[in-house]
Amino acid sequence: MKKWMKVLLLAVGIGLIAGLLLVYWIFNKPHRDVAKEMGIALSAQQLYDSFRTNEASANSQYLDKAIELTGTVADVSTNQEGQKVVNFSTNDPLVMINCTFKTDPGNLKAGDSITFKGICTGYIPDANVVINEGVLIK
Amino acid sequence: MKIASIVTYLTIALLSIGQVEAQKTFGTRNGQIIFQSPSDEDVKAINNEVSSRLLDNGTLTFSLLIKGFKFKMAEMQDHFNTQYLQSTQFPRADFTGNITNIKSVNFTKDGSYPVQVTGNLTLHGVTQKVAANGTIVITKGKPLAKANFPIQIKDFGVNAPDVTEKVTIAVNCQYQ
Repeated sequence: MKKWMKVLLLAVGIGLIAGLLLVYWIFNKPHRDVAKEMGIALSAQQLYDSFRTNEASANSQYLDKAIELTGTVADVSTNQEGQKVVNFSTNDPLVMINCTFKTDPGNLKAGDSITFKGICTGYIPDANVVINEGVLIK
Repeated sequence: MKIASIVTYLTIALLSIGQVEAQKTFGTRNGQIIFQSPSDEDVKAINNEVSSRLLDNGTLTFSLLIKGFKFKMAEMQDHFNTQYLQSTQFPRADFTGNITNIKSVNFTKDGSYPVQVTGNLTLHGVTQKVAANGTIVITKGKPLAKANFPIQIKDFGVNAPDVTEKVTIAVNCQYQ
């Protein structure tokens, strides 16, 4: 009888701790860190071409994936939250690969060629392929 | 005969390009839209990669990617994408509409102009008519579009009874 009580108490105790840990984890689960992920290596033009030719298949290949992109800087700006945004040119003057950087990529100017990692969020036709959480590689 | 018709088409095409260029277009690739639950302050998601075009004839478009919404809590962001908005199946939301009182906006004069907007919003694969009051603020010839309006998420086939029924959409887009 006493042993039975002990086992029950122990089980309830473990359950409580597990529950608390779960709540703690839900509230403090870290955001994804793309710097620790392997990226799919692509050029800006290749990424745009795959979205332009078949958006659905490009979505299944690249959406929410870490991308390691190499491209030529078209322009650099800051968004309304103060983060750096770099547009990379494609062969269509209206379409850019638009990347918002999580960490400052430093001084960049139009014409520079860089490689960075980020998460692809998708394609907006006639405007841009969007990547965010960018971190500079080289 | 054939050449003549080609020339006619080309002329018409060139003329229509001329007309489009006569209109002024303002654009941004990095406007801001916030989704916020009016009943719970923590349920708030910010998207800073909104593509938008505003024409001086009142035509207005917004496009954004659902996966671009950032929450403070990573767990909430996961639920938002997988359970509620199925962002892999429906990656994009689009709005196309018009500023109905565009005549009252003077794009060449700095100031704040109240506007009424109506149009179609496509979210979660469902298109609904929406209407909102907003403001166009002109500073040095560059417009800023601001609006705040509620939607019932059920209207867009999104069911999240434990989280919220209404979502306030806050638009804040600075054009170039």
